[in-house]
Amino acid sequence: MPRFRYFPVSFDVAAKTVLVVGDGEAALQKLRLLARTQARLVLCATAPTPTLLAFVTEQGIRHAASEPTADLVREAALLFVATGDPVRDRWLAALARKFGVPVNVVDRTELCDFATPAIVDRAPLSIAIATDGHAPVLAQLVRAKIEALLPPAFGRLGALAESVRDTVLDSLPDNAARRRFWRALFNGRAAVAALAGEVERARVIALKSLSDAQTSPVRSGKVFLVGAGPGAEDLLTLRAHRVLLEADVIVHDALVPEALVAMGRRDATRIAVGKRKGNHTMHQEEIDLLLVSLAREGRQVVRLKAGDPMVFGRAGEEIAALRAAGIDHEVVPGVSATFAAAAEAAIPLTLRGVASHLVLATGHAAGGAEPDGWEALAASGATVAVHMGRSVAANVSARLIAAGLASSTPVAAIENAGRDGRRLFAGTLADLPALAARSEVDGPVLILIGPAVAHGDLTNAEPFRPSQCAVSAAA
Amino acid sequence: MSQSDASKGHIALVGAGPGDPDLLTLRAVARLGAADVVLYDDLGSAGALAHAREEAELISVGKRAGRHAPKQAEVSRLMVAYAALGKRVVRLKSGDPTIFSRADEEICAAHEAGFSVEIVPGVTTATAAAAHLGAALTKRLVARRVQFVTAHEVTGHLPDDLDLGALADPLATTCVFMGKATFPALAEKLFAHGLSVETPAAVVESLGTERTAVIKGTVETVAARLKENPPEGACMILYGAALADVCRA
Repeated sequence: MPRFRYFPVSFDVAAKTVLVVGDGEAALQKLRLLARTQARLVLCATAPTPTLLAFVTEQGIRHAASEPTADLVREAALLFVATGDPVRDRWLAALARKFGVPVNVVDRTELCDFATPAIVDRAPLSIAIATDGHAPVLAQLVRAKIEALLPPAFGRLGALAESVRDTVLDSLPDNAARRRFWRALFNGRAAVAALAGEVERARVIALKSLSDAQTSPVRSGKVFLVGAGPGAEDLLTLRAHRVLLEADVIVHDALVPEALVAMGRRDATRIAVGKRKGNHTMHQEEIDLLLVSLAREGRQVVRLKAGDPMVFGRAGEEIAALRAAGIDHEVVPGVSATFAAAAEAAIPLTLRGVASHLVLATGHAAGGAEPDGWEALAASGATVAVHMGRSVAANVSARLIAAGLASSTPVAAIENAGRDGRRLFAGTLADLPALAARSEVDGPVLILIGPAVAHGDLTNAEPFRPSQCAVSAAA
Repeated sequence: MSQSDASKGHIALVGAGPGDPDLLTLRAVARLGAADVVLYDDLGSAGALAHAREEAELISVGKRAGRHAPKQAEVSRLMVAYAALGKRVVRLKSGDPTIFSRADEEICAAHEAGFSVEIVPGVTTATAAAAHLGAALTKRLVARRVQFVTAHEVTGHLPDDLDLGALADPLATTCVFMGKATFPALAEKLFAHGLSVETPAAVVESLGTERTAVIKGTVETVAARLKENPPEGACMILYGAALADVCRA
């Protein structure tokens, strides 16, 4: 995974000197950006262009018609160099470094301590877009998209927050309570009023809801049982994405990829209760208790489950526990792994005249003590999707053939469906056991069985048994 | 049409989810936002279509019972024709495109015309209905399996190739798509195959809209209710022992 060369931070420049050196367009561009801050700006320009001069005059920016003195550089919080002259650039950068002043030299990355990102200005809200210096044009495109998303008045929400911030800090000492208040504020009537420009009315509504929040007892939080989908970040639903961003705590299974868990808030607590093939780190009863106690502390909890929570997710037990404890909860459905697998190979799960129904099953019943009823799975014209696949492949094949399914029935197995590292295997039910022996297939595997499978796009599928040349290449 | 135009064409079959625009995937939103042409069925597409660009062409190919709509072949033809013009085509399908959606015919048409097809999976209406009910579809020792079936043939009747033994499986939760008209007939056959009349059942009507309504009971009572007083909206019918908790209430 690539790592950032530049780390984005926000620099406090209020009432500090920011120095710009240069005569032309590049200096003007930096000043335009800086003029939106509360910094004390100083331009050193011996021969400024008329436009540059007009701008500093109009903005009341201090102009020194000389090279910057050592004192001026030493006092500066930041230095921007835009002389366009390699020798002067290098000299000024060295001077800044001598005094420990961070310096940015236009178009000379090697002389820069920091870069300036593209900025969406919705003051007091600012959004910085950086590409590690690789693609400024891309940053501009992203900026345009974000600007379209946030109306110019959006910053008023920030101003509203600022106007009540101190009161909120005093009135609501509890962190979680404050977060609830802010969340309600930005989604509520106060926000609507602020966006409409009714600043004072927005403030009154906000203060009213603040006093309500103070007098009401600690409310229980809410638990969202969220389907994470097959694993790709962009196969989350819009709702799942939003509740994930709002969660105080994310309780997740091991099957949910790290990238998805990381999409939550930076300061959200993340608790792995992961189940991975027989390696149960937390018992279901403990998970149930955990969800209840987190909600009782007033926290907003996302219980993130791979695929859809209502299919093989043991959501039923969690819902029963939450219901019994009187905790507010909501289920957010997700894309089940079966559908992601079918999408990977364009396999129709149902097909007129070929497969009239789809059965989702887990491989676990093949080995476990639970009743199985494989006869029902061998139903005529069904497509069978077996979750938790590879290790049980042999057993599934044997049981289905014993239950009467033809050994020539088409089968596809998809490893890592809907996430990175996907692989597609295909063959017949008789061939399937070979998959169980392939230890290099270590991602989640979903097996699709039935006549409709043959109608998928299996041209790039590997056979279940490793081919001879693959074996010799590995040896 | 020049070669270069056609090579820019792109076809995506996109799952729109159960109708609530909030349950679109981020990928579906991205494909809609990049589409030149969106072919959609009428049912509950408005929210999803809001993600299309203003300049995009939005074409209804809706198949609503009792209304004239383009034939499947015509939909496939349109889809390919636009792609051949170099357009980015999104074929929006309710739920997930690989189940009960006749996507195979569209995929075949695209492949025959030399276009590859991207499939963007969606949230199926069945699990969304389960989420709405607050009932898990699988339950340890009770419901080991989930099965999806349609009870509506092109003719409007119950399909005759249903495996009734499997559908009467007491260890499964069954989700019946498009079954409001035929479920009473299906229920009779299920009872004859040994399904208990007491099996818990629920109907979720017009999921993802403001008119969502739920009918709860047993397979017998739900079938009777659908026969006497059929709901107006699209229905997802669920039955099986896993629903006992929510249907008892």
